[in-house]
Amino acid sequence: MTFSALVEGPLLWIAFLTFLIGSALRLLFFIALSTKKDKPVYRYFNFKWMMLSILRWLLPLNVDIKKNPVFTILGYIFHICLLSVPLFYSAHIALWQESRFGWSWWQMPDVWADWLTLILIAISIFFIIRRLVLAEVRIITTVSDYLLILVCALPFVTGYLNTHPDGSAYAWVTSALPLYGQYSTLIHILTGELMLILVPFTKLSHWVLFFVSRTVIGVEFGRRNYTV
Amino acid sequence: MADPRKYPEITINPESIRQAIDARMNARLKMWMRICAHCGLCADTCHFYVAKDRDPKMVPSYKAQKLKEFVKKKGQVDEAYLKEIYDIAYGDCTVCRRCTMFCPFGIDMATMVATLRGILTSQGMAPEGLKAAIKNYQETGNQMAVSEEDWVETLKWMEEELQEELPGAVIPIDKKGAKIMYTVNAREPKFYPQDIQLAAKVFHVVGEDWTFPSKVGWDDTNLAMFAGDLKTAGYIVQLIRDAAEELQVQRVVITE
Ligand code: SF4
Ligand code: SF4
Repeated sequence: MTFSALVEGPLLWIAFLTFLIGSALRLLFFIALSTKKDKPVYRYFNFKWMMLSILRWLLPLNVDIKKNPVFTILGYIFHICLLSVPLFYSAHIALWQESRFGWSWWQMPDVWADWLTLILIAISIFFIIRRLVLAEVRIITTVSDYLLILVCALPFVTGYLNTHPDGSAYAWVTSALPLYGQYSTLIHILTGELMLILVPFTKLSHWVLFFVSRTVIGVEFGRRNYTV
Repeated sequence: MADPRKYPEITINPESIRQAIDARMNARLKMWMRICAHCGLCADTCHFYVAKDRDPKMVPSYKAQKLKEFVKKKGQVDEAYLKEIYDIAYGDCTVCRRCTMFCPFGIDMATMVATLRGILTSQGMAPEGLKAAIKNYQETGNQMAVSEEDWVETLKWMEEELQEELPGAVIPIDKKGAKIMYTVNAREPKFYPQDIQLAAKVFHVVGEDWTFPSKVGWDDTNLAMFAGDLKTAGYIVQLIRDAAEELQVQRVVITE
């Protein structure tokens, strides 16, 4: 099997399955241990507090919007870009349609994908600079925090390069890395696979554990009459 | 210059530290150690951070994530490290939970710091005052080691004084089926018995149906909780609950 067949075939499967099964296991591990060692969460469980706590923090309805409006709003935009472009970009959907699943769904105009990609890259750079500049963020920043910003941004950087082969950025990258031109699609797929594979093993697992943690604290604060 | 801070005596037993950690690790703590985004949104929500001129070491996440670092060391720590953790757990955090109200994930950093305290306490490393109080709770059911005779005598004495001012006023002891069981800080019978008299005065004037338990369960402070000693903390609450059930009261009221 050629390397490209590996990346586009088995590795793609491995990436998606690691992402999905790994994330599900994170949830299962939590449930398995918590039923033994976190009994108050179950004893005081309350659906209303859970939903309030999740919705208030999933949507921009929380106190941080007032306290740190710029960072918080950029954080929301970052997440919207990160989720919407991979899911709704036309060429991705075309691949799903060609695949054995034959799935297709709503696609965003390509010019949106372009802009959302550039916005995500810009916010990623902002996040890195912010970590370097603000002492209160620098002290809690680890190497993996920087790497994970890169891991999330790389599929977007490569995606943008590959869809704009006439652009000056592409010319610049291929002159610096002559092999890039030859393997551009492969590298783009690899960066996406890397991100998916890392999700269950890093803080990126918050895409599921966010809901668990908000539920836990919603129940804890709700039963004490605090704001959930 | 010698370090002016006083530390409890430190003995390091890696195996015992490991066990103390294992016993305390639950699914919530593990999740919170994993998902903190290190975003810094909690930084300026902590009064220590604001009061200490935005000292980065006062950032709540920095303090709470020390738990992760501590756990990873698996008991392989030295005295300097334990002192550092001790200073953070007792000196830099009041375990108030304000930061949690601003964390997008709702990470309970106070509970994480309290867990640090609990691990240290399990190794005999707690402020002397708290250690003495914990011993008193375990031996006498109250933090000041007030004996049952002294307690009841103090109540009788306060009742007498109160009756000079308000004839007919009483401090009911062990009154089964009363509506309220009143509980106090053990400092009141020990140092400020007049406080008890004042509360009794209010109860009398509003015609409340209340009582005190004579044996244990009347001290509503829980200093064991501040040392992260959850076993003793639970025992203290259990004493109050047992007294309330025995007296068949409807409510437990705590002193201010
Ligand atoms: S706000 Fe929450 S996620 Fe962000 S650094 Fe503080 S504890 Fe971590
Ligand atoms: S719980 Fe600790 S870190 Fe959080 S705001 Fe209170 S004192 Fe600061």
